[in-house]
Amino acid sequence: MRTNAGNLKKGEFVLYQNEVWQVQKADFYSPGKGSALMKTRIKNILSGKNIEYTYKSSEQVEVLEVTSIEMQYLYKDNENLYFMDERSYNQYSLPLSIVGEVANFMKEGNKYFVYVRDDKPLTMRPPSSVHLKVLETEDAAKGDTVSGAKKPAKVETGVTVMVPLFVKVGDVITVNPETGEYGERVKE
Amino acid sequence: MKINTVIGNLDNYKKYLRIERATHEFMQKKGYLKIELPVMSPAIIPESYIEIFKTEFKYQNKTEKLYLTSSPELFLKRLLVDGIGNCYYLGKAFRNNEQNSSWHLPEFTMLEFYKPGVNYLELAEDVLELLQAISRIINKNLKINYKNRDMSFEKWEKMSMAQAFERYAKINESELFDQEKFRQKAKTKGYITDNFTYEDLFSQILTQEVEPKLGINGYPTLIYNFPKELASLAKMNKNSKTVERCEFYINGLEIGGFCTELNDYKEQEKRFKSELVKRQKAQMIHHAVDNGFIEALKYGLPKCTGAGIGFERLAMIFANLDSIDQLQLINIK
Repeated sequence: MRTNAGNLKKGEFVLYQNEVWQVQKADFYSPGKGSALMKTRIKNILSGKNIEYTYKSSEQVEVLEVTSIEMQYLYKDNENLYFMDERSYNQYSLPLSIVGEVANFMKEGNKYFVYVRDDKPLTMRPPSSVHLKVLETEDAAKGDTVSGAKKPAKVETGVTVMVPLFVKVGDVITVNPETGEYGERVKE
Repeated sequence: MKINTVIGNLDNYKKYLRIERATHEFMQKKGYLKIELPVMSPAIIPESYIEIFKTEFKYQNKTEKLYLTSSPELFLKRLLVDGIGNCYYLGKAFRNNEQNSSWHLPEFTMLEFYKPGVNYLELAEDVLELLQAISRIINKNLKINYKNRDMSFEKWEKMSMAQAFERYAKINESELFDQEKFRQKAKTKGYITDNFTYEDLFSQILTQEVEPKLGINGYPTLIYNFPKELASLAKMNKNSKTVERCEFYINGLEIGGFCTELNDYKEQEKRFKSELVKRQKAQMIHHAVDNGFIEALKYGLPKCTGAGIGFERLAMIFANLDSIDQLQLINIK
């Protein structure tokens, strides 16, 4: 579907230089000299590379029709992550290279949104945070109360996250899967 | 659109008030007279890249069309003709067909000021001093840190538009000032050129390739001498390729601009007409043209330079914010 660049919205998928990119940010900008513009940040879904691109707001852009389907994450191997659409039982795979670091924080059996175009998965929508149980971490030494101090903690997906000193083994914490940063401790 | 109350912006708003106060103090200390002005006018200056808001005055069964002003220029220049001298306006301006974004509000605050007897590069000194005055009030010195980037208002980083295009877009002067060569260059760079004007392509390449490099080397960047196609109401340079117009940038964002004002009423009349044709072509809102403005210029606008600054953008920099709506307690989106 072709549309004016002035209508682009965050989250949409566009064709740019024959590759598929997802709009990360789209901001209207009118310099008052020449046509109004749309300043965007787009992410290449194959390479993960982000670029800034300025469209003329009346320029035609190919926006791809993509649906986001909630799927169960089954498992991963060295190359791919495997998902199942629970309504159709169809299985889909996404290369690890596309999912990136987020894969380190994904729990098998959990549900994630996968973007699908013409029945082919493009990429997934990373959740803003994931709940993970702490498996290993050292107890903080008494009196070690420097504010902001952090220690490593191994979580149930096998990766290590830097957490505040008060976090203990068995705690459930939230982590931003895109940055790998600790969010908070949650009661479960 | 909806009315949003954002009380969480209170601290930012208080900072905005301090910046506003510092601006009034500076302008008045420099001898600029504060001018209060209407925002509705029965006729306005035709501009092909600015869409307008239209309203109506109604009394019994008579109606009259009114337009919200996109800048106070039509009023201030009349006063300059009448000999008002250094003057400034700090208040609302309106631009339609501009979506809310990090840098745009259809209803925004503009600082516009005029100084007779100086040209654009001379006025640059007053603009720099304004930045310094605000910085001293907000940060106690001439340095700020905006979005993890250190900057000082000690001086301008100055370059001509031709130098900036050469340096950052690899487009040389002869290509920049030749519409056909420029179009070819844009095409080879992969931009869509069909059905777009020189101004459209200039604007796109400036924003995509040049602007991100401006105002990031420790000082605000002043870009001067725009191609004549972007003249607006600026006076032509002797080379007849460029006009006496500047813009300044902080962290890749245009904050304001100024130009030596065109005071040749015949040239002004010509530009009015060509802007009107462009407006009609683009099917923009029809409006009454301010012919009284031309009449005033006939009487004689003194040699002067005028500056326009997007005041929320400027405040956003000093308040270290990403978006101008973070300065507002009530916003409409």
